[in-house]
Amino acid sequence: MDSGENEYRIARFRERLARDDTAELGVRVETRGGAVLLTGTVPTAGEREEILRLAETELAGLLVRADLTVACIDPPERPEELL
Amino acid sequence: MTAPERQEDGAVVRVAAVGDIHLSPDCRGLLRPSFETLPLCADVLLLAGDLTRHGTVPEAEVVADEVRDLGVPVVAVLGNHDYHSDREADIARVLTDAGVSVLEGDRTVLPVDGGRLGIAGTKGFCGGFAGRSAGEFGEREMKDFVRTTRRAAEGLHEALSDLADCEARIALTHFSPVPDTLAGEPVEIYPFLGSYLLAEAIDGAGADLAVHGHAHLGTEHGMTAGGVRVRNVAQPVIGKAFALYHLPLTRTPEPSGAGNAPGRAGRPPAADAPM
Repeated sequence: MDSGENEYRIARFRERLARDDTAELGVRVETRGGAVLLTGTVPTAGEREEILRLAETELAGLLVRADLTVACIDPPERPEELL
Repeated sequence: MTAPERQEDGAVVRVAAVGDIHLSPDCRGLLRPSFETLPLCADVLLLAGDLTRHGTVPEAEVVADEVRDLGVPVVAVLGNHDYHSDREADIARVLTDAGVSVLEGDRTVLPVDGGRLGIAGTKGFCGGFAGRSAGEFGEREMKDFVRTTRRAAEGLHEALSDLADCEARIALTHFSPVPDTLAGEPVEIYPFLGSYLLAEAIDGAGADLAVHGHAHLGTEHGMTAGGVRVRNVAQPVIGKAFALYHLPLTRTPEPSGAGNAPGRAGRPPAADAPM
């Protein structure tokens, strides 16, 4: 595994996520062992799929593990009392 | 002086807050069902910036539809995403037309049961935290960068100072005033997530609560050096449609030297100083 080249590919993938079409800055992209790990919370399931699709294209040939959750949009159960 | 009043009075303002909702036309109506419960539980909804994904007008119209005629006042600051397409003025106008108070170095006062809630807001900017921050030195670009933050902090200080007679005061920003609420983000990017200049303004003018967004991987709770509670309400952090805070309505004591010494610590220690 050419880790030098992969490091730049992962950096380009991060930049791609932050760019115009996705504009996603809340996903963390890290290497874990031989795999690329994606973590974070995204607003919709559609966006999660879009990010996974991008990862498949940009990181082709690398093992990608994703632990991306979709944000909960329910009202809170109780307030915090700031006494 | 304040502790006994707080115990006896008991009036609170109910503050709902969320940031970083990043709406776009494909999530139209997503938050509306939860927002429609607000009149039952809150006196105000604060939006802590990054309301859109790319800062376009069609995205702002989605945000406007989510919060129009909610039955509670809505007060917002914009975030960096809302500036991405250079349409921030149009975005502010779309939101204002929907009844939202959009603050930038400005403030608003809301009458609430038992008093007045003052909210001062600015997007803020980055630069880092005390001891690990960018300096106003060297290249033009570097000085412009730091001055952008400084101007935002000065606007916040002035707006908070104008609210001195309110029973509760909130500083609303997008960028973080403290590093506490960034825990979970890579330490290397803290300088891009906020600035101590915002906390200095908050402590200098005095506030009861500071609310921000921007740091999706951070944590909810923090505090300024002067003892003002800070809450990161970025939606991925709070994990719900909005966070809800009950804030006592008691007049904030003036910080010593308020208005002319923004470097001084904020509220003097009180008997019930929060931990």
